[in-house]
Amino acid sequence: MKGIRLLALIGAVLALGLVAGCGDDDDGGGGGGGGDQAAEGGGDTIKVGFLSDCEGAFGSFFEPTASGFNQALIDKAGAKPASKKPSEGVTGATVAGKQIQIVGYGCSDGTADKAIEETRRLVEQEGADILVGPLSGDEGIAVANYAKDHPDKTFINGIAGAQDATLKVQAPNFFRYHPDGAQWSAGLGDYAYNELGWKRAAIIGDDYSFPYTSLAGFVAEYCAIGGKITKRIWAPLGEKDYSSYISQIPDDVDGLYVGIGGSGLINFVKQYKQQRGEVDTDRMMGNVFWDDPLVLKEVGNDLVGGTTSAMTAADSDDPDVTAYIDRLRKSYGKELAGLGPSVFTYGYYTAGQALIKGLEAVNGDISDQKKLQAALAKVRLSGDEAPYGDVRLDENHQAISDVFLKRIVKDKTGDGVADVATFRRIPEVNQTFGGFFTAEAPPPDRNNPTCEKRQPPPWVGKAEEVSFGT
Amino acid sequence: MTASVGRTSWPALGVVVAAAALAPLVFTDFFVSVILTKSLWLGVAAASLIFLSAYGGMVSLAQVGIYGVAGMTFANLVVADGGAAAAWSPWIATIAAIVVAVAVGLFFGVIAARSVGIYFLMITLAFSVLVYYFFSQVTQLSGFGGVNNPDLPSLVGQPGQDPAPLYYTTLVVAVLVFLGLRYVSRAPFGLALQGLRDEPARMRALGFNVTRHRILAFTLAAFIAAVAGVLSVWYNGRIAPGSINLAQTIDILIIAVIGGLYRLEGAWVGALTYALLDNYSREWTPTVGDVLGAERFNTILGVVFLIIVLLSPGGLVGLWERVRGLGGRGPGPPGEVAREPAPAEAAK
Amino acid sequence: MATAATSAERAEPILHLRGIGRRFGGVVAVSDVDLTVRAGERRAILGPNGAGKTTLFNLISGEYPPSTGTVELFGRDVTAAPARTRARMGLSRTFQTSRLFGGLSVEDNLYLAVLGVGDGHLRLVKTGADGELRDKARAMAEDVGLGDRLDVMVSELSHGEQRQLEVGMARVAQPKLMMLDEPAAGLSRAERVTLTETLLALDPSVTLILIEHDMDVALRVAEWVTMMHDGRVIVEGTPAEIRANETVHALYLGSHG
Ligand SMILES: Nc1ncnc2c1ncn2[C@@H]1O[C@H](COP(=O)(O)OP(=O)(O)OP(=O)(O)O)[C@@H](O)[C@H]1O
Ligand SMILES: [Mg+2]
Repeated sequence: MKGIRLLALIGAVLALGLVAGCGDDDDGGGGGGGGDQAAEGGGDTIKVGFLSDCEGAFGSFFEPTASGFNQALIDKAGAKPASKKPSEGVTGATVAGKQIQIVGYGCSDGTADKAIEETRRLVEQEGADILVGPLSGDEGIAVANYAKDHPDKTFINGIAGAQDATLKVQAPNFFRYHPDGAQWSAGLGDYAYNELGWKRAAIIGDDYSFPYTSLAGFVAEYCAIGGKITKRIWAPLGEKDYSSYISQIPDDVDGLYVGIGGSGLINFVKQYKQQRGEVDTDRMMGNVFWDDPLVLKEVGNDLVGGTTSAMTAADSDDPDVTAYIDRLRKSYGKELAGLGPSVFTYGYYTAGQALIKGLEAVNGDISDQKKLQAALAKVRLSGDEAPYGDVRLDENHQAISDVFLKRIVKDKTGDGVADVATFRRIPEVNQTFGGFFTAEAPPPDRNNPTCEKRQPPPWVGKAEEVSFGT
Repeated sequence: MTASVGRTSWPALGVVVAAAALAPLVFTDFFVSVILTKSLWLGVAAASLIFLSAYGGMVSLAQVGIYGVAGMTFANLVVADGGAAAAWSPWIATIAAIVVAVAVGLFFGVIAARSVGIYFLMITLAFSVLVYYFFSQVTQLSGFGGVNNPDLPSLVGQPGQDPAPLYYTTLVVAVLVFLGLRYVSRAPFGLALQGLRDEPARMRALGFNVTRHRILAFTLAAFIAAVAGVLSVWYNGRIAPGSINLAQTIDILIIAVIGGLYRLEGAWVGALTYALLDNYSREWTPTVGDVLGAERFNTILGVVFLIIVLLSPGGLVGLWERVRGLGGRGPGPPGEVAREPAPAEAAK
Repeated sequence: MATAATSAERAEPILHLRGIGRRFGGVVAVSDVDLTVRAGERRAILGPNGAGKTTLFNLISGEYPPSTGTVELFGRDVTAAPARTRARMGLSRTFQTSRLFGGLSVEDNLYLAVLGVGDGHLRLVKTGADGELRDKARAMAEDVGLGDRLDVMVSELSHGEQRQLEVGMARVAQPKLMMLDEPAAGLSRAERVTLTETLLALDPSVTLILIEHDMDVALRVAEWVTMMHDGRVIVEGTPAEIRANETVHALYLGSHG
């Protein structure tokens, strides 16, 4: 009798699952985005899944990433925002006469396992034909691998920056229209060695995959030209007390490249100032975190004079850029538009733009996704599709595009917070750094890539000086 | 039927297993994989926790750490993207992974076995955190972005294409784990374990080596956790430090508590409930302004967890028995009931 | 009774306490106790609440080590030996408040008591040996009047039944030295009579040490009495001598009605 009761219990739970497991495919408004009013007729609807992080370290970028992707649909597919909250979806998106239905705004937590579970939910349960996402490095590798196993679906990366996702995995149906984490550092090595005259440098970073990649981009270029890395210092992610790491920074180097992110960077800067009297920014550079709005607000004034780089330039007055920010403001308000220049919003925006172009090229016919994939491989983004610079893909479906060098400058806008002045454009940055990074080479880690002089990346010496809004 | 924590009803088990065997014919591939297969291996992991808790009175948070060791060992020993990629045969790697994790479990057991209650909980939590940090730091083993696409035994085929072989494999393993632990609970080792759960001082006075017994119980649970760890890699097709982080440790504890810490069946009842909630609450969660939206599904999970804990310390299995009002009281913590009767002092 | 005492005196001493003491922080629970118990002896330990009787038991059984002094059991110095070693040498005991395995059946409780002094604690499989152990367990259940309660969970037993099981747990391992801590506590008058008869019928080769507040039980069963107070032994003698002793009266019998 005891057993029967247990049986009934398990039966009840299973029954619950049965109801849930079978009743989803015809449910038009499934997924987090309830607002999308797509038609029911399967043949006329293209189902798209959106995947980002709403939990974990990058959880706060959920709405910004959704705003970027939605904005592309609003710009080019006639969609309207369902509400001021991007993850509520859009209405009326059509491309080449086909309706675009967003089957869900999937939420991961920065781990590969969760990203795959959400991918599976969106693709296998909600029936997405195309997935846009994910957000962070490890997730990107996992989704690229998943893509390899599902050749009849198409995947466009959101803003996950791990090099391997395209360089090593090489899934024929996975596309990334933004530079990877190493590409973001392009141009800094050249600038450090040739302009600032650093002959010997040290690097310091958080001890995990993204900083490895980010610093790899610097090391590869700097060493190729002739620079020497004399010390690599790694601090645990989320470290509070950097004093022992700061004291490891050698005195006999010409410069320091800092790959510490988020709140760690703020602590690092404060403690550096305490320990060494001042932050000697003319001897320092930082990766993509340096011009993060929060970092600027907290310690921006100490970082004035420092150099950083990324694929976007917040101060850009290019008409395409200002129009892009204006459109975002109209759709989602000032706050989200303010994040328009962040790589998170922008990465998802270009993903959306590329998707629409690819769909247009096949006239909305996704019955054979091979055709869509072939079209996506040829997509080039320019003008308002990619306001910060043209994008095309290499044979691994990895973006080749421009990167900007920026300097932290004293407040220009009068809000007391330091600002950013872009001063160089590095043209046509590719993933391999001119053949240096290969699928066979060991992935970036604490000791890799090694520092060696070799043929420099093609963009060395070709940087264009730029200046916005002066 | 012996009146103790362990009661098996063969007909019920038979029906459940038969129903489970038919599941791939009824459900979508997605459901078979993401809900059912996942529930089964999560259930095995939770069973290792419940075994220690129900029979040994030890609530361990180390199980995720131990299954992480097994999973990482397996993933490094076979051909994979990232990690050591030692290219062993998947079966030999499976055995090696379990051996390594059991050895680590034995070592942890030696350290933890003398502690009880909250101290035991904290020490075992520290183990899981330690394992997580170890693999986060040693990227030679955890790869860059995890170890992906490990070679799997041909038995499970390609779970991405056809989930059925892996599902059946996991089902068989889960049933074996369940029956094995039930059997052990009635064997001398298991009975003695329940004895030291209830009255360790008595066990010492009866001639038992209580500490050694606890260490070996912990090691046996480590074996079960190791099996779950290997299954998790087969299921996920990858393992990264994020697969074994603190959130996962808490999830396994939640599964065990939802199902019921005092009955082995609870492991799978909890895992199934968790998998269903985790997947479907993302759609069902009502959007309440900016407070509760699809991205707040964990709130739903938390609320369900809280309700179950408040209603029934025995989890869903205990709740069910209580609702039916059969068998007298619902299964409470077995270690505590012995102290209920009026003590001798009161009668003096 | 006096003759019995002399016969016991001729037998081997199986337990020898020398200068034994135990303090808990500032509390001196037992201090400087010397005690000799001979094989086959029936010994009662009396004393008011807090006299240190239970502590003395714990020192003998090895629950915790003494602060001072030595314990010699069956001719061997066991001062440093753990409880399990002493149990396996042939010492068994009961607890003042029942310490039973509430989550297990009556039979399983007795089974564990037999298993404890044997081998194979770690066996993951049942073997033929378990059959024999279970036979012993069931026979003992019968002996202590729980023959029809074999499959009942111990937490569901009445208090009286639990006390019976306590004694059964101590007896089933066939110890050479058995120590009972207030076995009659909380029992009804009828139950006490049964208990007394059980104790009187024990195999005469088994040595028995008994803590008991109930004089009817204690003085009938014992042939030699040790009286404790404030952690010390204050009087030793035959039951008749104890009954007649002034100090005992003042301290204990008087206050206990
Ligand atoms: N574990 C302990 N920690 C601290 N004090 C203790 C401990 N055990 C016993 N005591 C103290 O030692 C003294 C002797 O206690 P013990 O239990 O041995 O007395 P007893 O003679 O058995 O009394 P009762 O007749 O009430 O059972 C008491 O004052 C008691 O409070
Ligand atoms: Mg006492």
